[in-house]
Amino acid sequence: MLLQSMQPKQKPLSRTEITALVISTLRDVLSRQSETRKHKKAVQESTPLIGEHSVCDSLGLVNLIVDVEQRLQEEHGILLTLADERALSQKISPFRTVSSLVDYIERLIREEIPNDAA
Amino acid sequence: MAIPWLLDRLRQWENEPALIWNDRGFSYASLFRAVTSWKEQFRDHGVQAGQVVAVEGDFSPNTIAVFLALIDLTGIVVPLSKSANGERKKLMEIAEVEFSFRFGPDDNWEIQRNDRTVTHPLTRQLIQMAKPGLILFSSGSTGENKAALHDISRLLEKFKVLRPKRRTLGFLLFDHIGGINTLFATLSSGGTLVTVRNRAPETVCRAIECHQVELLPTTPTFLNLLLISEVYRNFDLSSLKRITYGTEPMPEATLRRIRQILPDAELQQTYGLTEVGILRSKSQLPDSLWVQLGGEAFQTKVVDGLLWIRAESAMLGYLNAPSPFDEDGWMNTGDMVEVDGDFIRILGRRSEIINVGGQKVPPVEVESVLLQMDNIREVTVFGESNALLGQIVAARVTLTRPEPLLALKKRIQIFCKDKLAAYKIPMRIAIVSPEAISPRYKKIRQPQKAV
Repeated sequence: MLLQSMQPKQKPLSRTEITALVISTLRDVLSRQSETRKHKKAVQESTPLIGEHSVCDSLGLVNLIVDVEQRLQEEHGILLTLADERALSQKISPFRTVSSLVDYIERLIREEIPNDAA
Repeated sequence: MAIPWLLDRLRQWENEPALIWNDRGFSYASLFRAVTSWKEQFRDHGVQAGQVVAVEGDFSPNTIAVFLALIDLTGIVVPLSKSANGERKKLMEIAEVEFSFRFGPDDNWEIQRNDRTVTHPLTRQLIQMAKPGLILFSSGSTGENKAALHDISRLLEKFKVLRPKRRTLGFLLFDHIGGINTLFATLSSGGTLVTVRNRAPETVCRAIECHQVELLPTTPTFLNLLLISEVYRNFDLSSLKRITYGTEPMPEATLRRIRQILPDAELQQTYGLTEVGILRSKSQLPDSLWVQLGGEAFQTKVVDGLLWIRAESAMLGYLNAPSPFDEDGWMNTGDMVEVDGDFIRILGRRSEIINVGGQKVPPVEVESVLLQMDNIREVTVFGESNALLGQIVAARVTLTRPEPLLALKKRIQIFCKDKLAAYKIPMRIAIVSPEAISPRYKKIRQPQKAV
């Protein structure tokens, strides 16, 4: 079952699809993380993931990253490592907001796809 | 005679059964005759005092007799079980084995002579003192095997105290400190060692039923396998009076369930190391993982959460590594423990403790919670390196029924929420087919990717 879903799909994900995936994963992580904290604020592209106003703590962020990685793999056959040295050495952190994370994923996928096709 | 009291002790049990092998009984008298005939074999083959001799096989009439005959000869014994097969050449080189007796499944044997003389200063020191030796390899899951050289007379000293005789299952392997302990604890008290062809739950249960085994020295991993296989339902295990478990941390959930299915068996945690031998232990309460370790010949202390041991039965040293003892003879075990008054709780190898952003997570604690969940058959928790937190908690899970990964992860996180601190809840879940277990029935906690 897992192996089948790992087959890379032909069409690269669109930005809209990636955004939808990240936002729904984030909602899911937040709902698991705590029911007491009020997360009723709408999760959107500008939602901060780290820093003073972020919606989640560092554990939540790592959970989000791992889940996004796992969903990309399971649902789209895309194998990416989002949190590594490279991500941390970016001038602008890819984990600041939902949209910066989406940007980063989009960039990694663009780099990956030609390799997969070859 | 190297350890006079030992053979004298064995001689007095005469017609009592010493061993049950392939469902046949062997008396102490017959074991004794075998020891005598092996000493003749040694003369014929030129095996002499102070030589390093490998005994390759599993518990059997011959391997045990050779072992005893070598002690009597003041030889240096290197037991090697099948699980060491892949590395046997390398291990024999490290130990500087001069002769090897290799035993097959029917107890038939062959001898191999290696053209080699002992050069290691520690071994030579033992030979000069005219003491019988034992070389055991530590079964560390990572890195090189370390060869521990023991003066076996010191290791066996504690068995001078006569203890109640028991029918004991030879579960722990022949070349493991736990197996050596089982062998000599049984023989020195006039008990019976019941051997098994393999360590599968069914084989073990059948041997317990057939031969009315009273004592089962085993590992938490085996007990967990026993539970999930449910083969205990098909056998009468009521003869079991005591189960000892050691070699790795015990998940609390496993302990509780074993007590439910075997309410009459006393469960006792043991603690032992290849380097120092097996310590006696006393549990705080039957269900408790808090124990008091020690015994007359052992001292313990806890420094920075790590357990240190000083033992009269400690090895002379490693043959292929620097001495682990400090000037005063203390050895850092590398095991993290919690302390409560005179009692300690073993959390696991420091190297296996997961460090999530500086916070420590003992894998066994997480495993114990996950094992209480529906549809989780087996689980191994380990640290996965993570660029943000250093490490995150990862779990390899075997399921009873198929379940989608993300649904499982959600279920795990919700289940753990009020049972574990947030940083202890597994973030990476992998579903795998049956769990990786070493030949010694210990978990292999290696961060390997599942798919």
